[in-house]
Amino acid sequence: MKRRQGWLFFIIFLLTLSVYLLINYPLQLGLDLQGGSQLTLQIIKEEGKVTRDELEAVNSVIDKRVNNLGVSESNLQTLGGDQFILELPGEQNPLVASRVLGKTALLEFRTQKEGTSTNLKTLQLQRLSIKELIEQYSFAEKSQNDDNFLKVIQDDLKDIEQELNYSSTNNDLYGKLIEIKKYVDKEITNLFIKTDLSGKDLINAGRRQEQTNSNWEVLLTFSNSGGEKFAEITKSIAGTNQLLAIILDGESISEASVGNQFASTGITGGSATISGKFSAENARELEVQLKGGSLPLPIEIVETNTIGALLGSKNILKSLYAAISGLIFVGIFMIFNYRILGFVSVISLILYGFFNLAIYSLIPVTLTLPGISGLILSIGMAVDANILIFERIREELYDGNTLTRSIESGFQRANSSIVDGHITTLLSCIVLFLLGTNFVKGFAATLGIGVLISLFTSLNCSKTILRFFTTYQSLRLKNLYLPRNNFSN
Amino acid sequence: MKYNLELIKNKKKIIGFSTILIFFSLLGILYSTFNTSYKKPINLGMDFVGGNELRIERVCEAECSNLPPDSVLENLREISKNNKNFNNIKLQFQNNNKLISIRTPYLSIEESNNLISNLDNIVGPLNYESKDSRLIGPKLGKRLLTNCVTSLLVSLFAISLYITIRFDKKYALFALLALFHDLFIVFGIFSWLGIILSVEVNSLFAVSLLTIAGYSVNDTVVIFDRIRENLKSKKEGHNETIQLSVNESFRRTTFTSITTLIPLLSLILFGSYTLFWFSLALSLGIIVGSYSSILLAPSLLLKD
Repeated sequence: MKRRQGWLFFIIFLLTLSVYLLINYPLQLGLDLQGGSQLTLQIIKEEGKVTRDELEAVNSVIDKRVNNLGVSESNLQTLGGDQFILELPGEQNPLVASRVLGKTALLEFRTQKEGTSTNLKTLQLQRLSIKELIEQYSFAEKSQNDDNFLKVIQDDLKDIEQELNYSSTNNDLYGKLIEIKKYVDKEITNLFIKTDLSGKDLINAGRRQEQTNSNWEVLLTFSNSGGEKFAEITKSIAGTNQLLAIILDGESISEASVGNQFASTGITGGSATISGKFSAENARELEVQLKGGSLPLPIEIVETNTIGALLGSKNILKSLYAAISGLIFVGIFMIFNYRILGFVSVISLILYGFFNLAIYSLIPVTLTLPGISGLILSIGMAVDANILIFERIREELYDGNTLTRSIESGFQRANSSIVDGHITTLLSCIVLFLLGTNFVKGFAATLGIGVLISLFTSLNCSKTILRFFTTYQSLRLKNLYLPRNNFSN
Repeated sequence: MKYNLELIKNKKKIIGFSTILIFFSLLGILYSTFNTSYKKPINLGMDFVGGNELRIERVCEAECSNLPPDSVLENLREISKNNKNFNNIKLQFQNNNKLISIRTPYLSIEESNNLISNLDNIVGPLNYESKDSRLIGPKLGKRLLTNCVTSLLVSLFAISLYITIRFDKKYALFALLALFHDLFIVFGIFSWLGIILSVEVNSLFAVSLLTIAGYSVNDTVVIFDRIRENLKSKKEGHNETIQLSVNESFRRTTFTSITTLIPLLSLILFGSYTLFWFSLALSLGIIVGSYSSILLAPSLLLKD
């Protein structure tokens, strides 16, 4: 008697604990339930596997960039050795994040080769006209202009191609424009020689609006040794017609001359500005990229999911309806077929629900739609164990055993087949959790946790509650445990 | 309550029925592989081939006006000239013209945003709070596919290993046969759904196959256990004992399947559209699984 009550108090204690946990540590909702964006970033490596060091190096750069972007409550985690998942809750636009994160941001400082001035000037002009064509093209795309406009762009592009003695094989006009621009950029960078000053020598980056116009410029602050290198480089080309190019990811974003007054010491002070006609947005993106440093390996955004906040709350509501109606109908089915026993299983099911949710907030498990479906599915599986036990109890009762005896041996004899039966489901869950994607992991986690907890609730909890019930004489009538029509047989 | 399933009498019918089911599944898979535009045994969805899927609601005063999808598409193409990705675009109105759902090949976030703002110009205003957009690169898709296939194979292997250790050879063989029967039929049904209704399978479908595998073996294990138990205390002949065991565990097996089907049914009826085909696949798997556990697997054990 004492031991039985001990279990009962233990269950009540667990229930109170669960309620306490759920009130104080609310459940974490996935993006499909609260709205937001999720980006999957993939490290690109041509040969071999991404090593742990490389993964960490890329991780720290991405982390810095995300922090500098100032997105609130973002969450970055690695996935499967060469991927990252970035979550941006709420209505934050993934576009900016994708632009900032997708670039390598390799910053180089190069000096112009001697005797290439005329060559550079033509290329600079060609770059300017290509940029204009691209602008015209996006303008033409937005406004529903007639096709003549596009034809003009096409003809202009052909002229440039002829000048360059290079033609694009791309079929798409936009693709052609981009390809030619890349070609010109490459030709320009080829006119410059690498120096040993690079993005690694930066200690900070900032931005400010230019005084004379509305453009923005980006400020670079070098480390001590970087400042010295910069002075050295500027000294070497001061007063000559060689230019200094600042090159980002292979594209020259600024070419500037160094005045004669710096010929003796170079530009000292350890800072420089890039004024490449940035918009406020572009300047900020560049600032964030430079602050975070360049990526040791390029990354690509391979997946983007965006869910509106309204849809998220709708999903919560729908899942709630599904879970509650599932619970109610399973309850009705059980009480209809097993009467008092069914009622016991309903109480165990409610306990089961609370324990499950408490475990989610404890671990914590982030609830997603697949996760909820795992939970709902596990409701049905949790009852399975009870059905096995109840069927055994009924058989014992039919065989003419007493109620107490039937209950005891029912639980005992069903034990092994219940544990056995759940093993295969657990096996599937483990495989899914280990090999599955993020999306799938949620389902495997909730189903797996559910199956484990159901072993406790449907064995221990049901038994304790049933024993508690049978201490009342009025609840000990055999026919409360068997359907009436069968009992008369 | 005594059940009386005449297993011995109906052995041929049961095996015949399963053969027909397998045949139709095979037919669907073959037809799908050779005679469809996608030339795959099953219509692989965006998760596996990459692409862009967008669902967004329109803001309408009372009822949303009826717009022919073709003209909307034409407008979209008109606006975004020369973008090849837009030639292969699918657009549907659902939910009384309120909900727009669009599929395109893979787009960058930028292109996708352009698409949405173009759409806003044509059929807007749109409710951005209701947006559901998924962009999956083709590289990731391939990876997900291998990932899912490996998961399936690994877990089938683990389950087979467990069954072989737990039962003697004959029982293990028939339990596994029943399992592959279930998976094959669910796969076949989705092949047909792909052919007829162009239903696509995504990674959740692989998850449902795995869950079905775990669950359906479970049912077979319980019935085989009962058969073994009864054969030890043999009172009647071999075949009669098997039939008796099946009838003894019939109630238990159908009941557990029903209690699992009830929550799945409520997911189908009330749950999010994301989970619709997933819940359906699971339900089908559980129905086929109970059938094979109760009727097919024990029938295979019967001696002639």
